[in-house]
Amino acid sequence: MQNDHTIIREDNAIHSFCGLASVGWLYQKIRNSFFLILGTHTCAHFLQYALGVMIFAKPRFAVAMLEEADLSKDYVNLKPILEEIKADHHPSVIFLFSSCTPEVMKVDFEQLARSLSTPELPVLFAPASGLEFAFSQSEDSVLQALLPFCPIAEPSDKRVVFLGSVNDAIADDFRREAEALGIPVAGFLPENHLRDLPPIGAGTIVAPLQPYLAKVAMRISRERGAKVLSSLFPFGPDGTRQFWEDLAKEFGMAVNLREREAAAWERIRKHTELLKGRRVFITADSLIELPLARFLKSAGAEIAEVSSVYINKKFHAKELECLRGVRIVEQPNFHRQVSDMQVQPPDLVITSLMTANPLIGKGITVKWSMEFVLMPLHGWSGTVSLAELLTRPLLRKAHLPEFDASVWTMNAMPSSA
Amino acid sequence: MRLTYWMYEGTAHHGVGRIANSLKKVHAVFHAPLGDDYTLPIHTMLERTPDFPHATTSLVTGRDLAQGTNRLPLTLKQVEARFKPELIVVCASCSTILLQENLQQAIDTADVQTPVMLYDANPYRMTETESSDRLFTTLVRRFAKAQPLTERPSVNFLGPISLGFHVRSDVIAMRRMLNVLGIELNVIAPLGASLSDLERLPAAWLTIAPYRETGQEAARFLEREFGTPALLETPIGVEPTLRWLRKLVEMINEIGARKGAKPLQMPPLQAFSLDGLSAPSSLPWFSQTADMHSFSQKRAFVFGDATRTVAIVKLLRDEIGAQIAGAGTYLVKHADWVRKELEGYLPDELLVTEAFQDVAKRIEAERPDIVCGTQMERHSCRKFDIPCMVIAPPTHIENHLLGYYPFIGFDGADVIADRIYTTAKLGLEKHLIDYFGSAGLDDENDEKSAKSSTSSITVPKEVATSCTESNTSKQECRSQNEGFNADAQTKQSTGTATEANAARTEVEWTEDAQRLLKSVPFFVREKAKRNIEKYARENALWLITPEVVRKAKEHIGA
Repeated sequence: MQNDHTIIREDNAIHSFCGLASVGWLYQKIRNSFFLILGTHTCAHFLQYALGVMIFAKPRFAVAMLEEADLSKDYVNLKPILEEIKADHHPSVIFLFSSCTPEVMKVDFEQLARSLSTPELPVLFAPASGLEFAFSQSEDSVLQALLPFCPIAEPSDKRVVFLGSVNDAIADDFRREAEALGIPVAGFLPENHLRDLPPIGAGTIVAPLQPYLAKVAMRISRERGAKVLSSLFPFGPDGTRQFWEDLAKEFGMAVNLREREAAAWERIRKHTELLKGRRVFITADSLIELPLARFLKSAGAEIAEVSSVYINKKFHAKELECLRGVRIVEQPNFHRQVSDMQVQPPDLVITSLMTANPLIGKGITVKWSMEFVLMPLHGWSGTVSLAELLTRPLLRKAHLPEFDASVWTMNAMPSSA
Repeated sequence: MRLTYWMYEGTAHHGVGRIANSLKKVHAVFHAPLGDDYTLPIHTMLERTPDFPHATTSLVTGRDLAQGTNRLPLTLKQVEARFKPELIVVCASCSTILLQENLQQAIDTADVQTPVMLYDANPYRMTETESSDRLFTTLVRRFAKAQPLTERPSVNFLGPISLGFHVRSDVIAMRRMLNVLGIELNVIAPLGASLSDLERLPAAWLTIAPYRETGQEAARFLEREFGTPALLETPIGVEPTLRWLRKLVEMINEIGARKGAKPLQMPPLQAFSLDGLSAPSSLPWFSQTADMHSFSQKRAFVFGDATRTVAIVKLLRDEIGAQIAGAGTYLVKHADWVRKELEGYLPDELLVTEAFQDVAKRIEAERPDIVCGTQMERHSCRKFDIPCMVIAPPTHIENHLLGYYPFIGFDGADVIADRIYTTAKLGLEKHLIDYFGSAGLDDENDEKSAKSSTSSITVPKEVATSCTESNTSKQECRSQNEGFNADAQTKQSTGTATEANAARTEVEWTEDAQRLLKSVPFFVREKAKRNIEKYARENALWLITPEVVRKAKEHIGA
């Protein structure tokens, strides 16, 4: 029914990170795991800067670095590296991430992971290269790799499995909220430990918490016959209410959470008042763009444009429905977006780390998109943080003294030194 | 293949981006998959660029590869339209270079007016530093044009570069010195130079290129091709700056003599101070003072790029009067030069490695009083509780502070000396504690220093300590501890060799001996403990009694 919705498609000239970025939150989520990237110097340097390895120095992820001599070999020997990881970290599961170079070399990752895997220490392949995957999308790959470790549930076992990596506090909230509504919970994919993964079967209702997990959701319904909840993603009072009401409906319950939603809006009223009527432009980066735009729209903002690297008409159906009338662009062209912003400057731009400061330099108020992926913003309890993230740059700009860029950024650009 | 998670140097294309982002109207285009422009936030976030960095990725996707699509021509057109550069530099990335595509052909089919240069930066053969320097030299070769010398004495300053280490302050320090001498700056490059500036390079009387990593090749080229003499020494430290100034004046006057110009005079030294009335640097007197006598016993370990490693070792030994416990560099291709420069300065071989773990091991084994290193050494040292100051790239947000912190010149000497002093533990205070005991500090430190009765150090506790000690975020502590908590076997830090040996030989302490050890001031206790254990092992005294402690002290003279 929502297929009539127009999505403009451009040429993907965007600024974002590759799929390796998801290591940043997944290694913390899945305890006793190790994330091994078969990659190059570039991958290692990326992780160092993007994930701040400089600060924590002994994380449970690393790069098996291909050097020139490795390029001409007809096999990749990861055994010694695996031994090193085992000795140093004693992981209970290793995720083997692909990257661009070995994919160009046509390394058979499935086979490689199988050959390294043992019953005691599974090595699971998760495709993540920048040739195919943006930023958050590789979480989808990791969850697909975990799926075989979810026991098969009896068809009569009708419970919910929440899909997507969230921190323990948020997980706890969702479990309690579900139980309070009378919704039986099987667990989360992923859980903190491999051994705790929930059973999934034909009776399972899969409730996606993150908007970048379309493929694993599809696969779960195909392989296990589970039903994937079609609703809004649980961000903001509007999304959270819809999410719980739709989920309850799957369990034969008619729940009305309007009052709860109204109370949540009331809690963030001073923020929504600030957002009302503001033009917000969302560039493509983290794949959280659609729910974010929908929340902003519900909060009274005007969406100048929302763009995303990847839009799945089925998985994002309900979000797209709420965004009817909004300009939506898949795989946008950033050059075009910048000129649009210059013609009609938005009040707020949500954009990537690499483009934030240069846009501020052009007098535009900006919020980093990455924060919306890394901060706990789900459900009722995340609502205030979500609203605060969006209004902070507006308030800050209003608070600071008048800024004359021609004076205060003199010589700040290296090429103007 | 090796396992790694931290690099001193970035990839070749990052070097290209640094040059493009330094120069006016030059734009880099990376033929690469999504994400390879992760190098852009290094510019926009660390350097806080108020404009878009001069680099764009021409995206290569799996689908493009399958369909044989090459978007490079389209990207070039888009970049031309949006950035209006005078030159576009195209390079492949580590994955696309394997595709063996004919990028020149793709460039030729692009409908652009802007000159496009294909730069062959093989990421498997060179990294950031070499790639950027070679590109810079290539551009100087391409654009520099023969022309008459400037009327007044002038120099080129080659080497400052986008994301360079304290480079903005170095440029100011250099300007100040040249102003005092009455020498004009013809061109600074690559930082802030346009292509027409590169054209004007041969108009300078001479070229100064103080950084081994960037600009010296170009300076040599200008010397060969246009006869522009090159001054390649580095004015870091007071004595090197004095020598450098005299040489600069001498070289300028040589050229001036040929032109019949009036010779430059070296002005009185106070002219180089900020107010024109004071000593140009406070370092020489500072080193004379009684407070600094303790530095004669301080052992320093230095690790970094080529220029700063050499300069800091010399400054530490020659001007601060400290001892050098060792030094090293991650710039393998510059190691010979560093070795030669530091002949006679080092107690043993120069450490040459790209693996930070090797450096950490060495630091742990040496237990120097101060480490001058990169951000990575700063981190390693936090685990070992050894003071560390950062003296070399890779760049970090802390190297992009707002104030004036040069490394070169007299101003730089003061900045470096201040940092050494505030980083190293206790000068005069240390003497007082030696004389009067620890004044209660001991009790405070008991908890963290005197850990257990066995000889092996429990790293998690150390980590926890360092976390509570400094203002590190909770996030950091959590992450660090997480890395260590798998089980006892993983508790070792990166440098495990010495600890493992110690464990095998199982030296034990009696309670009395431990009490005696506690009487050693806390800040040298760890070192004393190691020395005693070393003595005990060498003499096969497996149980350390007060008697063994006394013997060891006699033997070591501690």
